Amino acid sequence: MADFFLHAFALVSSPSVLLLIVIGVLFGIIGGSVPGFTVTMAILVVFPFTFAMDPVSGVSLMVSVFVGGYSGGIVSGVMLGIPGTPSSITTVYDGYPMALRGEPGRALGIGVAASFIGTVISVAVLVFFGPLLASFSMNFRPWEISALIIFALTLVAGLSNGALLKGMLAAALGLLITTVGYDRNSNLRFDFDLPVMSSGFEILPVMIGIFAFSQLMDNIEKLREEKRTRSEAVPDISIPYGRIIRDIASQKTNTIRSSLIGSLIGALPGTGGTVANFISYDQAKKFSRHPERFGTGIPDGIIASEASNSAVAGGAFVPTLALGIPGDLPMAIMMGVLILHGITPGPLMFEQNPVLVGAIYASLLVGAVVMVLCQLLLVRWFARIALIPQQILVPAVLMLCAIGAYALNNNLFDIWVLFGFGIVGYLLWKAEVPLTPLILGVVLGNNLEQQLFRALDLDGNWLTFLTRPLSATFLALAVISVIFSLYQNRKIQQKAALNQ
Amino acid sequence: MPTITKDRALAIAMLIMVAILYVESGNIRPPTSWQTYGSAMFPQILLGVIAILSVLILVRSLFNSDSPQARERRTAMQWLRQNGAVLSLFAFFGLYALVLPVLGYLVSTMAFMVASLALLLGVDTRRKWAINLGVSVTLASLIYVIFHFGLNIWLP
Repeated sequence: MADFFLHAFALVSSPSVLLLIVIGVLFGIIGGSVPGFTVTMAILVVFPFTFAMDPVSGVSLMVSVFVGGYSGGIVSGVMLGIPGTPSSITTVYDGYPMALRGEPGRALGIGVAASFIGTVISVAVLVFFGPLLASFSMNFRPWEISALIIFALTLVAGLSNGALLKGMLAAALGLLITTVGYDRNSNLRFDFDLPVMSSGFEILPVMIGIFAFSQLMDNIEKLREEKRTRSEAVPDISIPYGRIIRDIASQKTNTIRSSLIGSLIGALPGTGGTVANFISYDQAKKFSRHPERFGTGIPDGIIASEASNSAVAGGAFVPTLALGIPGDLPMAIMMGVLILHGITPGPLMFEQNPVLVGAIYASLLVGAVVMVLCQLLLVRWFARIALIPQQILVPAVLMLCAIGAYALNNNLFDIWVLFGFGIVGYLLWKAEVPLTPLILGVVLGNNLEQQLFRALDLDGNWLTFLTRPLSATFLALAVISVIFSLYQNRKIQQKAALNQ
Repeated sequence: MPTITKDRALAIAMLIMVAILYVESGNIRPPTSWQTYGSAMFPQILLGVIAILSVLILVRSLFNSDSPQARERRTAMQWLRQNGAVLSLFAFFGLYALVLPVLGYLVSTMAFMVASLALLLGVDTRRKWAINLGVSVTLASLIYVIFHFGLNIWLP
């Protein structure tokens, strides 16, 4: 174990990889701190730069964007009162009042320290539970894998803003997209006699098109609706280190509890930073001796929020690496990048690519250290960068998406795929269809079809899915998750009716 | 006459797509004697699921006709005016994809950036023009240098 870590650290500590980690963390922080840009967008923009890199460098760069991105939301949350990413909404509740009280440095310092601890604890969770889960899932056969994928998709669809039907429709659409082109029997499907369609769609242009266009166009629409009132002036920030250490020391339980909540929520498909953020904030309030002070600018709230959302990064790697099932959007893109580098996440990854798994652990830790240094040294600049207007950001990101799609295979058709799915994604977004299940469907579609038909080739009886204990359990969980979200939808509707 | 709402439009669009793809799935080669299931089976299952879900969304939308969403009526002109920037941005991106192989990366990217920034930032002051040109030229060139010289990736 020690040798494995030493080897991984040696790889990640080479000057070129270290430089990439610094760049990735910086870019992630910027991405997280610019309102409306999000961690996912930062990852999408960075991924084309990994094409020419070896897997360790590429993965280290991507991982460091995660680490930076999840901590970047602090900056705009504290300085502007606008959450840079959805996963730092609750940071604003206490961070902004503390900054308004004249202590922006303290608020930022507490957030950065909590982010660091959250990331480190989540790496520990990944190190211990990743291999355990992977070795357990080595027993999975095609029936279990198919059932697990169906469970993950229903879970994600059910958790999508209470829109179960649309979530399931999105997941099915995502799976359908993967059926274009040659299949497992080398038969052509849905090519409409167009030779460019015969090889199907690359995952990444589809994902970028669906997610980035809808997000960016939504940002443009919001610009019209809301005139921003934020001040262009960034106050002077000085970090009171001693005070921050005391603040964190007095909140040990809160920090550890929030980090564990973040890690666990991150490991569940369909959740992510935003859910972790709210749950740990709520828990911190429930366990607090002074719950009435939450929201007035106390360290407890900032710690709960930032420790949990940063811990999501490590937790989310657990199912992605161990099972090959990404839990959320950033992980789906990360999985796309791993596949692009010829690595298939799943139980065998720990056996076949231990160096890469080690590099992920190591770059998460090194990234966390770099994040703390960057945030504390450059926070004044990040606060200024957070003021970049969307009018400049949107065209720049669209252009980068186009170049990223092209550079994937030096193929102009991929830009058209990006554009086509950009329109589809935007229209679905306007129709209030959740896009996360769709993107997960795209990522998991080929695997589901392969496993499903491998199972049926081995045993043509569909009932086998119900007679094998594990696959039956996953299918039962899928049904339970659908019933639970139906129940939740009903509760939301009843609440809305009462409020009217 | 029922109003077209988001849900109804979505359901109808999905049902049309399902119909087209179901017909197209008839062109997929049938299974050979050694195959248990053919290549059309998986997509046809998915098309069935999408059709059922679309019908459910359609039926639900008919029962929710009194929702604020259903009551909101807009003319085509109002819709176009409200979504002008987004539609123009899509059009610019389509044009960009079209001219990229003809004009090459640098020219077409700068043109796309200048046009998009002019659309979103406005063109009413000299300062905005300076920002527009500065951002467009710097960013397009920087990306070119990074990809071409740093990463050895050839742009069109």
